[in-house]
Amino acid sequence: MQRIPLKLAQPGMVLAKEAVTSEGQVLCGAGTTLSQEILARLAKQEVLTLTVEGHPVSMPGEKTLPEKLKELDLRFSKVKDDPVLRALKTLIAEFWIIQEKGEDFLKNLKKGKAG
Amino acid sequence: MKREEIRQRLKEVQSLPTLPPIVSKLNQMVSDEDVTAVKLGRIIEKDQVLTSKLLKMVNSSFFGFPQRISTVSNAIVLLGFNVIKTLIVTSSIFEVMQASDIGLFEHSLGCATAAGLVAKKLGIKNPEEVSTAGLIHDLGKIVLRAEMPQEYELVVETAAKRQQYMREVEQEALGIGHGEIGGILARQWNLPERLVYPIEYHHRPEASPDYADVSAIIHFSDIVIRALGFGFGGDKWVPPLDHQAWSRIKLGKTQMRQLLEELDEKLMELQDFTLDIQQDKKESA
Ligand SMILES: [Fe+2]
Ligand SMILES: [Fe+2]
Repeated sequence: MQRIPLKLAQPGMVLAKEAVTSEGQVLCGAGTTLSQEILARLAKQEVLTLTVEGHPVSMPGEKTLPEKLKELDLRFSKVKDDPVLRALKTLIAEFWIIQEKGEDFLKNLKKGKAG
Repeated sequence: MKREEIRQRLKEVQSLPTLPPIVSKLNQMVSDEDVTAVKLGRIIEKDQVLTSKLLKMVNSSFFGFPQRISTVSNAIVLLGFNVIKTLIVTSSIFEVMQASDIGLFEHSLGCATAAGLVAKKLGIKNPEEVSTAGLIHDLGKIVLRAEMPQEYELVVETAAKRQQYMREVEQEALGIGHGEIGGILARQWNLPERLVYPIEYHHRPEASPDYADVSAIIHFSDIVIRALGFGFGGDKWVPPLDHQAWSRIKLGKTQMRQLLEELDEKLMELQDFTLDIQQDKKESA
């Protein structure tokens, strides 16, 4: 799932979340496959961003998942001994992994570690 | 520099824009029993620039109202007068912050967002006020930067060089931390205690003489937003968690996952909001 500016949306991409105007009006639902016509309509209604399935666009300055996880580690380096914060760190890492690779990937990752 | 010297200097803060004259007028009006939201709204709406800034803030995603708030009196009814007043008092400070430190600005907006979500999860009354406390929790850093730029520079550099938390260096070099500094200012501006204490005690929430629940939420929200790496709060490390404060919050795994998800969504919207503000600035410049 990725949030992108409407300008970078292409026909064929699938909405992961409903498209909403800045006034909060819902224009099309999650699961919609974008077409040229839909994109034109969204532009007319001044929709600025869309959330689409997968990770189809690489944005300038955007960090990769391994980079994000490494920086996460670094930020927690002073509080390694705190069990609550360790749990928080794990939850954030898992959240990012699921967001980019999906639930199954994380499950397999955990199985791999256990076995 | 000595702690007392700093306290003294805060009494005559020069470099920050002065409080809008409307504030003292509003303070007077609020002490009057019969004043209504409509009356207050009308006074504020005479100042168009302030009104448009105010409406932009109240409609931003960290408060998260589904419908658009289009009048000031409506905003007062929905968010409460404390929130509106705080937004007015601090509006010029946020302008300074947007111009000089976009990282800290994002950190503040992020903390406000997280604090509002946590407050709602815990069923705390007036979660918008808790959001607002999050918005201004690092007020002391902005003041320090504006009023004593050399000292501020030194603190940030030393923190980076020695790999220390910024507030450890503040204590050592200045004898006073940004929490206390922010508290002094907030009190000077007559902000309500439910906002003053969380600012003052966000790094030692259990010392908070009152509203310990709000202080705990701001303490935890600051941690979460730094953990996510959203914005820049002066140094890059996740601060230590006060476990007594955590026991007031204690979200389970499922609730935490939910929080991360909701927060992620709102933070993406916030990025649109900050871009929007910067765009406005460019256009008006
Ligand atoms: Fe702080
Ligand atoms: Fe902070």
